[in-house]
Amino acid sequence: MLNCDDMAERLYPYLDRELSPEEMAAVKRHLQDCPPCRHWFVFEENILRYIGECGRKVRAPEELAARIRELRQS
Amino acid sequence: MAKDGVAPGNAGQLSEEAIGYLDALYRMALRLTGNTHDAEDLVQETYLRAFRSLHQFQPGTNLRAWLFRILMNAFINEYRRQARRPTNTSLDELDEFSLYHQMRANNSHQVSGQPEQEVVTRLTEERVLAALDELPIEFRQVVQLADIEGFTYREIAEVLGIPIGTVMSRLHRGRRRLQRLLAPSVCHSPSLCQGRSSLC
Repeated sequence: MLNCDDMAERLYPYLDRELSPEEMAAVKRHLQDCPPCRHWFVFEENILRYIGECGRKVRAPEELAARIRELRQS
Repeated sequence: MAKDGVAPGNAGQLSEEAIGYLDALYRMALRLTGNTHDAEDLVQETYLRAFRSLHQFQPGTNLRAWLFRILMNAFINEYRRQARRPTNTSLDELDEFSLYHQMRANNSHQVSGQPEQEVVTRLTEERVLAALDELPIEFRQVVQLADIEGFTYREIAEVLGIPIGTVMSRLHRGRRRLQRLLAPSVCHSPSLCQGRSSLC
């Protein structure tokens, strides 16, 4: 049985889906029973998602894409 | 055909597939070099090296990770020395900042709803990218690979040539540091911090 003190070190591995299936299930069980930890994990998940969305808006310039295609032909 | 490499007939298909990762490689290059000119040069150098050594690529392995590894090597060889912001912060420095707990400590009754929605509306894309660029490079690399590009811990370890434990530790501290950097923008909101935070 996990308690709240066990959750901090499992936060990111859980959100990254890098825990073992057993540990994933144990964290999930704790989150179902513990609203404060659940709020925290949801907060962190949403912040990470937003940072990812911001980062992925960056796109390579079209001129660079054209240069790389030329490089491929040569 | 090389024993373990790519058949010549497959090289065209593979190079096309490699070009599909252009945006991702450019994003990484931009975060590493800090300017579009160097980022474009780094990406071009990456593809040059990749196309030249495509015959060495092991079919069935991870092309995306292979390309990022080439980019990292090219960066280390050619740009690292003149990187705009050398690491001057100890990676061992304790950095356990949590935006959520900071907000909760400052204004506990407000954090029962969806505080992340308010955070998201206060953080512009430019602010997030600027904060990423402020991270020490060792943190920036892992955060970019994990949170922007979605690499697994194992893939990041492979790309950077570091142990998985180091990936996990840098990612944890990098994310915490990023939240600390973003906090002043977020805590500018009176309803979140009520002006009581030292970060505001």
